[in-house]
Amino acid sequence: MEALKEALYLNLIKDDRWQYLTEGLKNTLLITLFATLIGIGLGLLIAIVRSTYDKTGRLKILSGICKVYLTVIRGTPVVIQLMIFYYCIFTSRIFSGVFVGIIAFGLNSAAYVAEIFRSGIMSIDEGQMEAGRSLGFNYVQTMRYIIMPQAFKNVLPALCNEFVVLLKETSVAGYVAVQDLTKGGDIIRSRTYDAWTPLLIVAAIYLILTMVFSHFAGNVERSLRKNER
Amino acid sequence: MSDNVQENVQENEILIDIRDLSKSFGDLKVLTNISTTIRKGDVVCVIGPSGSGKSTFLRCLNLLEQPTGGQILVEGDDITAPGANIDQLRRKMGMVFQQFNLFPHMTILENMTLAPIKLLKKEKAQAEQEAMELLRRVGLEEKASSYPAQLSGGQKQRVAIVRALAMHPDVMLFDEPTSALDPEMVGEVLNVMRQLAKERMTMVVVTHEMGFAREVGTRVMFMEGGNFLEENEPEAFFSNPQNERLKAFLGKVL
Ligand SMILES: Nc1ncnc2c1ncn2[C@@H]1O[C@H](COP(=O)(O)OP(=O)(O)OP(=O)(O)O)[C@@H](O)[C@H]1O
Ligand SMILES: [Mg+2]
Repeated sequence: MEALKEALYLNLIKDDRWQYLTEGLKNTLLITLFATLIGIGLGLLIAIVRSTYDKTGRLKILSGICKVYLTVIRGTPVVIQLMIFYYCIFTSRIFSGVFVGIIAFGLNSAAYVAEIFRSGIMSIDEGQMEAGRSLGFNYVQTMRYIIMPQAFKNVLPALCNEFVVLLKETSVAGYVAVQDLTKGGDIIRSRTYDAWTPLLIVAAIYLILTMVFSHFAGNVERSLRKNER
Repeated sequence: MSDNVQENVQENEILIDIRDLSKSFGDLKVLTNISTTIRKGDVVCVIGPSGSGKSTFLRCLNLLEQPTGGQILVEGDDITAPGANIDQLRRKMGMVFQQFNLFPHMTILENMTLAPIKLLKKEKAQAEQEAMELLRRVGLEEKASSYPAQLSGGQKQRVAIVRALAMHPDVMLFDEPTSALDPEMVGEVLNVMRQLAKERMTMVVVTHEMGFAREVGTRVMFMEGGNFLEENEPEAFFSNPQNERLKAFLGKVL
């Protein structure tokens, strides 16, 4: 008991070391949140382009570009993408690591979110599109009022899962000098030479975040579904 | 439902003029040079064996399928011409599908008011009032706030019909509206359609219900192999068929 107290004191209280964790948590959440927004926005666009091509044969060139994008992003490790953005593209250091992290993880996430949305769109029965069109809605209106709301509902669990995955994936942000939660724990470890305590605390924080979020997502999903039965 | 039929219904005025209509899927010729007219107030029943092209014909009328040849004139306008406003046209042509195709994420009332509000720019209250009136006529007003999944097949199809009617179409297209229904629910849907016919709604109905075609149709057409082989008013059509294929077909189904 005494030993535990001492370990906590050494790793958290002494020299205000807990601030490494709170600062890190803040950056982790910042990156995850804004990357998710980029991921959903861009992913949605890509999904609409790709499924429009699949269904109507239009937007062929744009769809081809999207396909290449997805292949490259999903075929290479996110750490490499992150480093390319930080060391090759945004070389000027007016761009903070957090900013570069948001861009890199956002563009990465978009590729996965796009495929999630696309499978959601393609899972909607063709009759829904026909019913919308036969009432006089054009293609875009039918997508907006009829197809997308259903597709979104269908893919909500997968989207939430993607958010959780992203939250954990940002733990490599330390590679580009971002002091995220993982890096924060690591700094403490290098100061105190105690590996167990800071790493377990960091792991616990990730776990709590993902559990709380999954629980919240489950509630939202249930209340959306309730309407339909 | 008389308010769904235009005030100045000019009987016998040609509503849809089909000229040399053809449709192929790749090498498969499904419709070959069909010419016929549909006049205001007509209840045209299309019968024929499976795969003969009935659905394709119906779906060409509102361009859910793009014809590969010929012309379709709706109220004088060639809808197959490049640049024709298809979306505008479809507002005037209600369509009812075999599989209902209600929007599962919306209540019945929302299903019915979506298009009038978004496309006809109706006030929500006004659209809802009209929708409730239509629901009342098909005996489903207590289902207004239900979701499609909570309805039986027959109820869904009645909603699908009034959803189309809410756009005040000039013509209603039905593609086997009772084929997906349990037998005990067929009647309630046919009754709604019978009522519509009485109110002089122009209708094109692809159906296997020979009784309905005979009783309600003003004209029955027999399709086989992508063309109409015989058409007549119902009494003569059923009691005195001429075409050998039709005789064989009726022999099987009656
Ligand atoms: N989208 C399509 N692509 C290729 N072939 C098609 C397509 N739609 C229909 N066909 C073919 O066209 C032919 C006519 O089909 P259609 O659905 O019009 O027949 P139908 O008379 O409505 O039959 P049923 O009574 O079974 O509904 C069939 O051979 C069908 O396989
Ligand atoms: Mg058919």
